[in-house]
Amino acid sequence: MGTENPGRPNFPARPAATPFAAAPPQNVMPFSSSGPLVGSEASGFRPTSPAAPQPTVPFSSSGPLAGSQSSGFRLPPPPRYTDPSVPPPASNVPPTGGPFQRFPTPPFPSTVQAPASRVPLVGQPIAQPPAPPVSFRPQPQIPPVPMGAPPQSVNSAPPNVNAPYSVSDSSFPAPMTNFQSSFPGYARMQSNADLQSPPMQSSFPSHQGGYAPAPPTSSTPFLSHQGGYVPPPPVAAPLGVQSRDQMQYPGSGPPGSIQGLIEDFSSLSIGSVPGSIDPGVDPKALPRPLEGDVEPKLFSEMYPMNCNPRFLRLTTSGIPNSQSLASRWHLPLGAVVCPLAEAPDGEEVPVVNFVSTGIIRCRRCRTYVNPYVTFTDAGRKWRCNICSLLNDVPGDYFAHLDATGKRIDLDQRPELTKGSVEFVAPTEYMMRPPMPPVYFFLIDVSVSAVRSGMIEVVAQTIRSCLDELPGYPRTQIGFATFDSAIHFYNMKSSLTQPQMMVVSDLDDIFVPLPDDLLVNLSESRSVVETFLDSLPSMFQDNVNVESAFGPALKAAFMVMSQLGGKLLIFQNTLPSLGVGRLKLRGDDLRVYGTDKEHMLRIPEDQFYKQMAAELTKYQIAVNIYAFSDKYTDIASLGTLAKYTGGQVCYYPGFQSAIHGEKLRHELARDLTRETAWESVMRIRCGKGVRFTSYHGNFMLRSTDLMALPAVDCDKAYAMQLTLEETLLTTQTVYFQVALLYTASCGERRIRVHTAAAPVVADLGEMYRQADVGAVVSVFSRLAIEKTLSSKLEDARNSVQLRIVKALKEYRNLYAVQHRLGGRIIFPESLKFLPLYGLALCRSTPLRGGYADAPLDERCSAGYTMMTLPVKKLLKLLYPSLIRLDEYLLKASAQVDDFKNLEKRLPLAAENLDSRGLYLYDDGFRFNIWFGRALSPDVAMNLLGADFAAELSKVTLSERENEMSRKLMRILKKLRESDPSFYHLCHLVRQGEQPREGFLLLSNLVEDQMGGANGYVDWILQIHRQVQQNP
Amino acid sequence: MVKLTLIARVTDGLPLAEGLDDSRDLKDAEFYKQQVKALFKNLSRGQNEASRMSIETGPYIFHYIIEGRVCYLTMCDRAYPKKLAFQYLEDLKNEFERVNGAQIETAARPYAFIKFDTFIQKTKKLYQDTRTQRNIAKLNDELYEVHQIMTRNVQEVLGVGEKLDQVSEMSSRLTSESRIYADKARDLNRQCW
Repeated sequence: MGTENPGRPNFPARPAATPFAAAPPQNVMPFSSSGPLVGSEASGFRPTSPAAPQPTVPFSSSGPLAGSQSSGFRLPPPPRYTDPSVPPPASNVPPTGGPFQRFPTPPFPSTVQAPASRVPLVGQPIAQPPAPPVSFRPQPQIPPVPMGAPPQSVNSAPPNVNAPYSVSDSSFPAPMTNFQSSFPGYARMQSNADLQSPPMQSSFPSHQGGYAPAPPTSSTPFLSHQGGYVPPPPVAAPLGVQSRDQMQYPGSGPPGSIQGLIEDFSSLSIGSVPGSIDPGVDPKALPRPLEGDVEPKLFSEMYPMNCNPRFLRLTTSGIPNSQSLASRWHLPLGAVVCPLAEAPDGEEVPVVNFVSTGIIRCRRCRTYVNPYVTFTDAGRKWRCNICSLLNDVPGDYFAHLDATGKRIDLDQRPELTKGSVEFVAPTEYMMRPPMPPVYFFLIDVSVSAVRSGMIEVVAQTIRSCLDELPGYPRTQIGFATFDSAIHFYNMKSSLTQPQMMVVSDLDDIFVPLPDDLLVNLSESRSVVETFLDSLPSMFQDNVNVESAFGPALKAAFMVMSQLGGKLLIFQNTLPSLGVGRLKLRGDDLRVYGTDKEHMLRIPEDQFYKQMAAELTKYQIAVNIYAFSDKYTDIASLGTLAKYTGGQVCYYPGFQSAIHGEKLRHELARDLTRETAWESVMRIRCGKGVRFTSYHGNFMLRSTDLMALPAVDCDKAYAMQLTLEETLLTTQTVYFQVALLYTASCGERRIRVHTAAAPVVADLGEMYRQADVGAVVSVFSRLAIEKTLSSKLEDARNSVQLRIVKALKEYRNLYAVQHRLGGRIIFPESLKFLPLYGLALCRSTPLRGGYADAPLDERCSAGYTMMTLPVKKLLKLLYPSLIRLDEYLLKASAQVDDFKNLEKRLPLAAENLDSRGLYLYDDGFRFNIWFGRALSPDVAMNLLGADFAAELSKVTLSERENEMSRKLMRILKKLRESDPSFYHLCHLVRQGEQPREGFLLLSNLVEDQMGGANGYVDWILQIHRQVQQNP
Repeated sequence: MVKLTLIARVTDGLPLAEGLDDSRDLKDAEFYKQQVKALFKNLSRGQNEASRMSIETGPYIFHYIIEGRVCYLTMCDRAYPKKLAFQYLEDLKNEFERVNGAQIETAARPYAFIKFDTFIQKTKKLYQDTRTQRNIAKLNDELYEVHQIMTRNVQEVLGVGEKLDQVSEMSSRLTSESRIYADKARDLNRQCW
């Protein structure tokens, strides 16, 4: 950049002092301020080795590390060094201050302070830069030698592209390559910055002196903010000012006041205790989402006609107005959609039937009429809010406009006032008559399935749900069982009991009967009941160990292909016969950490993906229930669910006595919850932006149409958006989710959710409007997808890297001028992001390596997390921990009081009092932890005579005393409040290893565990990386 | 054997119910369904007033009856006895009127009575086999007469509208041309004088 910068010769006349005068505010301030403000780490090391940091200056400046914006700051110093010809920092303090301040935090100080004090860190795979530091560490001692050269090199080739590195490489080969390799993403970013730098360049050089380091965009806010000294404001400056104003003082406080700022971001001080090099951070002060998920209010307040956030959440409701701005938002930009989220009573989505006019849609972009369309021309035309085309209003839909341009019939038109609405679909939206709900059960009856007791629970559960299956009287039902052969059941209504037909030719599967394998439930009810009653005993003596899963799946497909519907597969062994048989490819320790690691997590046999594609085509959704205690290759089986909009439920080592209740509840919910059939979903958005990637369980038909054979309220889908145009000219971007589906009652409907979001020109505003829940949801899906193509470690690193980039970007916005040098600063809206990021890295799909989670559990958790709505996902990532004993001991406390008493604790072992009783609830299970010194009374009351036994064998049941009843009431209440999954209760006593470890301790995400970071370490690590080469 | 069964409102062609897995084993189901839809559209324009009609199409034949502004239509093999087909439709009609009669006029969405498909399914099965005692009895029932029901070809039926248009177009052309002829003749006459 700088080399070819023609601006260079233009500013030779500038007095040398100016740059300094100008520069200090930028460079030095943070540094000096950080000292007094909070003993930042900088202060910690400054006295020890003033020389040490300096040699590194070249590093920091040349390092590709910093984002685009940092390059501008980095570059300034070198020229000054060379100007005086003698580089020593002493001669020109201010300039050094700049690099010094920035640089200190990076490798050197961090290594000097932190790694030394925290051994585990070193061995641990830290995201990016920390790795180099380790090898680096000795270097502070040999600083002066390379010192001269690097600055020159930087200077000679100012652009922060590759040239300088190669030079410095020679002096510091190792670190440099390290840096570069670990930041593949930066090259792109820089080039982005380059694209836009031209307008800024003019401003920057003007006070920087002779060299023109092409300050990237981000520097403008700084400049503009540094006070009034900015000379004739070039294009960039006003931009910066204006944007700052917009974002900072939209009404929060008087412009310029620090108070106004405080609402914008939070900061944490990380100071060092005098005399120690261990940076202290007050763990209590760290932000924690103890209130659970909080839906962003701002968004809905700004646009009251938007759909409820339970249906659609944007990662930030400030949509960037330019690609360059979007590229500085390092977090995902997109949405999480839960089209059928359960609405509380009274908030049901209104149903609208356009009988005579047909559904009103935009002629060009097919947007459905919504509250944001505008009527003009006395009500004869309406303008589409998404593509701004002027459409005619059909005669039957015409209404006069009042004085304000609103239709006079507005109060009778929910589609023009509500963000969520359902349209009754006319025949054009039907390929065929609405299908009835269809449930087909494919049940493994091999010996392991029989022994686990799964068959019995399944049969009982299905039988008990027959009355509640949606869609009476059209509901269709069918069964097939399989071991080494496939058994079909004729359920013709005229029979008294089902007839079984066995097909053992697995190579050429055929269906033995054209009809009556799938029957109308209301007509064949008694046959179905007889079948379910006899199913458990039918196979009780079966000793067949084989599993013809693939052929059975094909057979089920043939039976269902006429109608589609839901296929529920209960699988207890590894498929061993016929197509789709799977190998015990196993969870090999040696594969971890190699390039082949991810292969374990993707389907082994193409059969599964092809089959999933076929199933989707015929509107069949697959739900996999897996039960084995041995390896069953969930990665392969789950593929069926993944591409058909289904789900994976995994009950490792299923025993009906222990897991029966969980299976019963979850299967019942699966069967009885309101389900949308044969559906497709599309999300539309305004011109200039486009959804480009979709994440979740579905199959993409064409580029943007999600095929969803079945959808229910527990499924959410994430999508990311990109800017197609360099600059958005509109003020608002609209989003519209449309789900075309057949309801269980046989009505074809279109559910439409519409939302508007403002376009912003400022990064700070994007941060302010960020929704951490949505960000984390998209993040998790991306990270889990990444584990399918690379190592777990890489997936975790990418999470960390993006958080660091985002916070760094934010820091660059605010840190300097507000003297927050040594603090971690983060936007208020994203204050939980680092913690959720940590929790994500420690969640089952991503944690550790071979030993930290069995492969099947990892995969099934991954499949589950891909579908979870925001609230449930956050709960899973940061579960609640509640102390129970005090409440239980209180005499007359009613369950209602419990709400008030329910105080979530930070997830750290230090919060576990050994005299207490704690409940850990992650939305999928309860773990009740009995402290070692818990009063025996309590234990005895709750557990009866078993209270001293090993708790793994004890199940919690209601006993004859008030305390036990109270506890059961609490659990019941909690389960009812969150019915998607059944919380299976595990009891564990303090010190009872290894159960305590995997049930609770490894899930206390704030604690350090094995190779994983604790919260404090994680924050420090992120902070260090954020400050690196700012 | 019955292949397809559709029930629609005659006034606007709105489909009310349809047999469930009717399209099984039928290769061109979509094609024939399109024909049925075209037929319903024709009916809704007030043509083909005949309340009972059979229409040949390819290897199949449509039979329909119109009663109470509802059209009950089925598609069978040509070999399937006409008598049985119409009795099947009568059965459907009786049940449909009994269950849904009151709401037919007010139905506002397509397939509003899709629940009727279970009855269609059941009834269809009864008529599947022409040699059951029940069906033989029905075939021999002399009180139910279907001979006078007209049989036409689908092209003819769907083409009727087209042909009418053609005729009216030709006649209008004739009118205008004859007017020109009259004018010219008058001119010529004048010139001769």
